[in-house]
Amino acid sequence: MRSRLFRRLAGDEVFYNRSLSLLKQMLQPKARRLGEFSFQKGGMKMNERYSRQILFPGIGKEGQDKISRKHVLIIGAGALGSGNAEILTRAGVGKITIVDRDYVEASNLQRQQLYTEEDVAEKLPKAAAAEKRLKAINSDVDIRAIIGDATPEMLEELVPDVDVMMDATDNFETRMAMNDVAQKHNIPWIYGACVGSFGMSFSIIPGKTPCLNCLLRTIPLQGMTCDTGGVISPTVQMVISHQTAEALKMLVEDWDAVRTSFVSFDLWRNQYTSMKMSKAKFAGCLSCGEERTYPYLDRENMTKTTVLCGRDTVQIRPANTGEISLEQLAAQLSSLGYNVKGNPYLLSVEMGEERMVIFQDGRALIHGTKDLTHAKTIYQRIMG
Amino acid sequence: MNKVLFFAHLRDVVGEEFLMVEAAGKTVAELKAELAGKYDLPRLETVMTAINEEFASNDEVIKDGDEIAFIPPVSGG
Repeated sequence: MRSRLFRRLAGDEVFYNRSLSLLKQMLQPKARRLGEFSFQKGGMKMNERYSRQILFPGIGKEGQDKISRKHVLIIGAGALGSGNAEILTRAGVGKITIVDRDYVEASNLQRQQLYTEEDVAEKLPKAAAAEKRLKAINSDVDIRAIIGDATPEMLEELVPDVDVMMDATDNFETRMAMNDVAQKHNIPWIYGACVGSFGMSFSIIPGKTPCLNCLLRTIPLQGMTCDTGGVISPTVQMVISHQTAEALKMLVEDWDAVRTSFVSFDLWRNQYTSMKMSKAKFAGCLSCGEERTYPYLDRENMTKTTVLCGRDTVQIRPANTGEISLEQLAAQLSSLGYNVKGNPYLLSVEMGEERMVIFQDGRALIHGTKDLTHAKTIYQRIMG
Repeated sequence: MNKVLFFAHLRDVVGEEFLMVEAAGKTVAELKAELAGKYDLPRLETVMTAINEEFASNDEVIKDGDEIAFIPPVSGG
């Protein structure tokens, strides 16, 4: 009896040991694949976070280490800014600074991937809404959001420790300022733009490629295509793909891989062009030539009123920037009978045909007009 | 003869993806002025030009058989 039981138990033990070693065998290669770093974050295993990107030969472990130590500055948090920021945040860039002067509206949701209906309801500034979402996507990344206009002064202050600058603006005035700052401080930047089904991108490396001023020589008059052309989301995504692929190459310092041609495409008409740029560098260029003056860093050259691209809106930027008390202003306007709504970042005031949105730095958006002078009049009526 | 390609809104204005024109001997600026007059094309001065898929400045002279593309820089983002 005793010996039969013992034999049974011993048999069970043999079975158990075999099963255990089989299980160990099954698990072992998997455990090796997981790599030496294994940690928990919010109950999730994060050790595989960048594994697919590291497996990609162009990046590898060394490339990922470089990416994690770099700082990317994104100017604009609209359609291109949202997409660029999300991809680079997911890729594990060490630090991302994103600048935007606008707030979230319903017409943004069709293509601006970081924003929600809740952000629209709260009229959140895009930079604030983007920061919230990006931090939720990847808490490894040091995200800095700046609510404000990317003026030459701000750009010069921001760029010293920046590795790559992403163009996600909607106007050439800011792009030309970015171009001058990039040349002056030797920072590579990636131009991207789109309208309708048409998009384009070009990587600009100071001292190596032509700059934006070499190509344009002057600020193109804007508005026409943005106001009339609309835009579809696939165009935005295609530009973002070109821009972020270039950014990753620069972040891992694979300079030979960086695209030297100017790419443009039309997704609706099935056109794709790649323009060689070796002859495009202009010796007399005021931004990157021998006798450079960086003309677009001169504040005198900057307009203080701007029609916002694709919208019935004028932006007013006061010459003297400084904090204003939104609380005081709201109380004052309410007592005058205006319908005023707001949050800690801005006030929205109904004014007959127009609506004015005032930010803490004194900047304002006048909705419902494209007339610069009229907009300025409305602004001054309220702000003095 | 020269094939002239139009991109973005320029194509809408011209109504064709490309035109066949006699442009040999003309500069890019001259061709732009000629087309601007004929098709009511706005702001061609700042439109980028590629000759045989290579960036060309406004004073570059066009040769017979060159393929020309007009690419307007756009600002949306």
